[in-house]
Amino acid sequence: MAACDAVTLEIVRGALRAAQAETEALLERTAMSDVIREKKDYFTGYFGPEGKLITGTPLPLFGHIIRPILRQFPAETMRPGDLYWYNDCYASDGGVSHLNDQVFAAPVFCEGKLSGFAQSWAHFTDIGGMRPGSMSPDATEIFQEGLMVPPVRLYREGKLNAELFRIFIRNSRFPQQLQGDTRALIAAVRLGEKRLLELFARFGRDSVLDAFAKLDLQTEAHVRKRLRTLFPPGRSSFVEAVESDGHGNGPFKLRLAIDVADNGIVVDATATDDQAPGPINWLMNPAVPQMIFGIFLSGEDPTLMLNEGLMHAIDEVRLRPGSLLKPDFPAPLGQRGLTMVRMVSACNGLMCAASGGEAGAGIASYALWYLRTTDPASGETLLMNDGVAVGFGGRPQADGHDAVYFVAQENNPAEYLDQLYPARLLRYAINRDSGGAGRHRGGCGVIREIEWLGPDAMLANRLSGTIFPPWGVKGGKCGGKGRVVLNPGRATERVLPPIGDGTTVRKGDVIRIETGGGGGWGDPFAREPERVLADVLGGFVSERSARADYGVALAADGRSVDAAATRKLRSNPPPVRMFHQGEYVDALS
Amino acid sequence: MPSPDPSRSAAVAIDVGGTFTDVTLLDRNSGRVWNAKTPSTPDDPSRAFMDGIDQALALAGIGPEALGHVFHGTTVATNLILEGKGAEAALLTTAGFRHVLEIGRHDIPRKANMYSWIKPKRPVPPERIHEIAGRLDADGKEIQPLDEAAVRAAARAIAKQGIRAIAICFLHSYANPAHERRARELVRAELPDALVSISAEVLPVFREYERSMATILNVYVMPAVSTYVARLSDRLKARGVPGPLLLMKSNGGVASAATARREPVQTALSGPAAGAMGAAHIGALSGHRNLISIDIGGTSADICLIQDGQPGATVEGRVGEWPLTLPMVDIVTIGAGGGSIARVTEAGALTVGPHSAGAVPGPACYGRGGIEPTVTDANLLLGRLTPKLLDGRLTLDREASKRAVADKIAKPLGLDPAAAARGMLSIIDNNMVGAIRVVSVERGHDPRDFALLPFGGAGPLHATALARLLGVRTIVVPAAPGVLSALGLLVSNLKSEFARTYLQRPPDYDRAGMEAVYTDLERAAREWLAEEAVPESGRAIARMAALRYVHQGFELTVPWSGVEGTIEAFHRLHERLYTFAQPDTPVEIVTLRVTATGSLPRPAPLELPKAGPIDAARIDRQKVDFDGQPIETPVYDRNRLGAGARIKGPAILVQLDTTTLVYPGQEGEVDRHGCLVLRETA
Repeated sequence: MAACDAVTLEIVRGALRAAQAETEALLERTAMSDVIREKKDYFTGYFGPEGKLITGTPLPLFGHIIRPILRQFPAETMRPGDLYWYNDCYASDGGVSHLNDQVFAAPVFCEGKLSGFAQSWAHFTDIGGMRPGSMSPDATEIFQEGLMVPPVRLYREGKLNAELFRIFIRNSRFPQQLQGDTRALIAAVRLGEKRLLELFARFGRDSVLDAFAKLDLQTEAHVRKRLRTLFPPGRSSFVEAVESDGHGNGPFKLRLAIDVADNGIVVDATATDDQAPGPINWLMNPAVPQMIFGIFLSGEDPTLMLNEGLMHAIDEVRLRPGSLLKPDFPAPLGQRGLTMVRMVSACNGLMCAASGGEAGAGIASYALWYLRTTDPASGETLLMNDGVAVGFGGRPQADGHDAVYFVAQENNPAEYLDQLYPARLLRYAINRDSGGAGRHRGGCGVIREIEWLGPDAMLANRLSGTIFPPWGVKGGKCGGKGRVVLNPGRATERVLPPIGDGTTVRKGDVIRIETGGGGGWGDPFAREPERVLADVLGGFVSERSARADYGVALAADGRSVDAAATRKLRSNPPPVRMFHQGEYVDALS
Repeated sequence: MPSPDPSRSAAVAIDVGGTFTDVTLLDRNSGRVWNAKTPSTPDDPSRAFMDGIDQALALAGIGPEALGHVFHGTTVATNLILEGKGAEAALLTTAGFRHVLEIGRHDIPRKANMYSWIKPKRPVPPERIHEIAGRLDADGKEIQPLDEAAVRAAARAIAKQGIRAIAICFLHSYANPAHERRARELVRAELPDALVSISAEVLPVFREYERSMATILNVYVMPAVSTYVARLSDRLKARGVPGPLLLMKSNGGVASAATARREPVQTALSGPAAGAMGAAHIGALSGHRNLISIDIGGTSADICLIQDGQPGATVEGRVGEWPLTLPMVDIVTIGAGGGSIARVTEAGALTVGPHSAGAVPGPACYGRGGIEPTVTDANLLLGRLTPKLLDGRLTLDREASKRAVADKIAKPLGLDPAAAARGMLSIIDNNMVGAIRVVSVERGHDPRDFALLPFGGAGPLHATALARLLGVRTIVVPAAPGVLSALGLLVSNLKSEFARTYLQRPPDYDRAGMEAVYTDLERAAREWLAEEAVPESGRAIARMAALRYVHQGFELTVPWSGVEGTIEAFHRLHERLYTFAQPDTPVEIVTLRVTATGSLPRPAPLELPKAGPIDAARIDRQKVDFDGQPIETPVYDRNRLGAGARIKGPAILVQLDTTTLVYPGQEGEVDRHGCLVLRETA
């Protein structure tokens, strides 16, 4: 096998990144649903001939995407020009984790041999199911969450299976968007295929495959080394709560343990609670926690490729069939994003427990709301799908992120919502005091308030952190709680259940969602008073919290720190412990 | 504005760079050009600006009264934004949206690692953002009147804090600027000396975060740009220069000092835009209207695709961390230049750039204390540069280059120094190829259909290798690659764009409504041309429209030719850029645009005398490492090559401001305007 030299290796790295950026741009510019183009809920990348990840993304969400295709269609049956498609979560062992995510992948051939895959997946707005948008908190079986597509061959040697495509389009409430999104996704895969072919032609198959393997080893060596320096040998555990499944059940506990031994590292989630009747189950591909640790450990070296090497941070992930993280078919999965972010937060907790607080504090799960109605004039279904930001946890090196959703996903501008939907965004603000107090403050969530101007609509909403807010660490306090309120300040004011569907919203009603923030990191009494002042002036922290949580007093004009009063407040700091969730505790378990 | 007075036949262009200020003086009648170079004076750039003009006037032997136009490309606004050093500014926003900047688009950037990323600090903190009640709907209809008392109160609070730069951005003002205009009146009544910008004038296009940011950046750079431009105008006047000062905008056109002071954020890409205009001009002179220009300096490379003589345009630009969705020349900048430093990372990867050794300490071979191996060191080590640069004013230390490359790169990777140097060049060249792909392939163009036009100090040294990597067969090296930006200024026209979001959904396109918007925009365009004193004969106004398929989020801009013709053009462009069109899908018309151009007289091009025998230009020979093959290579003095001179690779051509490397298998000819046009022979 022709070995690639150090220079070819860097050129392959650069070419892969450029090709990925190019396919992402094509998809964003041509896709039709706002979920892809505004929210940017998609991933494009390359995989090796055996399905190993070559170019990933810092989005720990998907597992081994190509292997389910190879199981159904052995490599020797594939031909140039083929294009494969699926969204089947259970058939892919959580490779995709809810049915809205469509995977398209094309095998790439060089010298007559299968040499890799170009892949793109994206969230499609509506693929059938019980409600517009396909994902409803009301679902109790995956059959209610849209059309299931096992791995199928959509193109054979460049020829479209038009019948298959027609069946798919027929099952959507928004066939035009589905058709446009499918075309965009296929164009992105074909562009990726072309770029990979060019790379093979330039350097030769063996040399490029050797480059893939070397890039993998670079990443693996880095994460393994850093893992060993951060986590001493031994067993640590952490428990994170998922509050409710929207069907009156919960809380559900994610019970994790990490064993660091000389011969390997094991994450054991088998003690996690049983699966839920509601759709918060997350069929977690074991690669996902491996990716989470890998992304954390690779954070300080931007030259590393996010590839299969990340997954070697953790040698084994143990899951229990029938649990919330490995539910049995046909458990519903539509709201799995909630549990997924709880898992990202729990991994922070495991890292903190194993390293003495050298990772970030708890993060909040992003919130969502949907409004669906029928346009009386045209009779068409109308769906407004809006993702709402939260706060992330404070970190050893910095504050947590204020007002972010998740990696790469963007909001709907007010001027876009007002234009496209019978709605008016009245307020979009930082949710003051929602970030956990800390030497490095937890990020704040937001307040988003809309007035509905259309005909009666059905509201679904999803929010967490209303009972168990994201925890603080190393003296940092937990984040604030969120809530959803209908008609705040009016006689008809009503706090809605955090996860639910079927609320009727009438013309003139106002819906307000207040999201929670991340936990704080480190003792808030150690935060520089000037930064506390800036937070008060900016509307992130109240004067009351500055006094009570940070021991910082402001002068009478509210625009400067009262140094003497602050010294007095801080002269007797309250004792702190490792974790905080409502109160300080030594461990969350 | 074109001067009827023949005594004012000269024009001067001043390009202020980080290290040097380049001044080019042109006699429009003869086409003769004089170049001056003077150290920049960052504390007060107007000093070097005037020194340079004086030097150029002395070289040409004329007085200031001969200057009919003074053109200027500036990086004042860019640097203020990139370095976060703009004015303390305040923003008036719609009630409920005080955190519009802090929240932004609520994303962690796609390429960022969420564990290490830190949200960048906004140019205006929330305590300087004031909420004002009053609301319009998406069609611009008033839902709630403007709270005038709140505007006055905010103005007084701003005054108390000593802030004089104020941006106003209210929701849906792109559809109706009435609330913003009224608020501006009220603010000015309270604060007569304040600089106020309203979003409906800076960027009347939907998406409130991006529009707020553009408006804020405008006032953020306004005090400094305004002071700077005023000082330049004063100094020119005091010196007795009669011609007006014209500043290059990001869109590749120039505007008067008054316009630049009102819309300073329009100069954010002033410098690179001037380079692109110069490249388009030189390319056209040599008969190449389809070009990829690459300006390689010490720290960065600016790349632009020029089609049919026009640099590409975009409205999706960024400056530093911020979106700046104003019309700009579509330029991709990467951190790759002669000073780019090579490193071996802990994981064993060889990287080149984006860090640069700059002018100080500079590459190891400069002998100014630099010890890191740079791209220039790799070039010298391989014999691709001669040991003397800048007409012998700079002597390079090849041993220092070899030491730096050997110690920092070759040893850790187990290579010999020459192989390590070749590797460094492969990587930097490949990074540049990646950036060239962004402006070509990603925009639906095949780079092989274009000629490569290199400029800047290091452009012609790398271009011949880049062309081979890209499959480009023609390379056009301008006569004076170091001063192409100044030339771009001299050949530029006045240009401005007027746009309004006016969403039209099928099947009911409001043709009369669109006509009314275009009429409005054209009136604004004519008023601007009149303000710039462009005579009727030099005016051009064109309609454009931005369209998308229903449900898409990005628009494509095409020339307006009535509803049906424009939609047809949109389908064609979508197919070319993205490989597919969707004629079965309805199309929305989103933004209507009008571009206004005021033509200035074109300078007569330089005519080079006929070439003598080529041997007379040969000054030396040296060994050059071409892909591992050491080849004895002649060195020519480019200044001794006349029109029609033929060069056959391998060859090195030296001149004051650059070195051109010609590979074996490439040959070329100097054309009558001094461009060296190289072609692959195989």
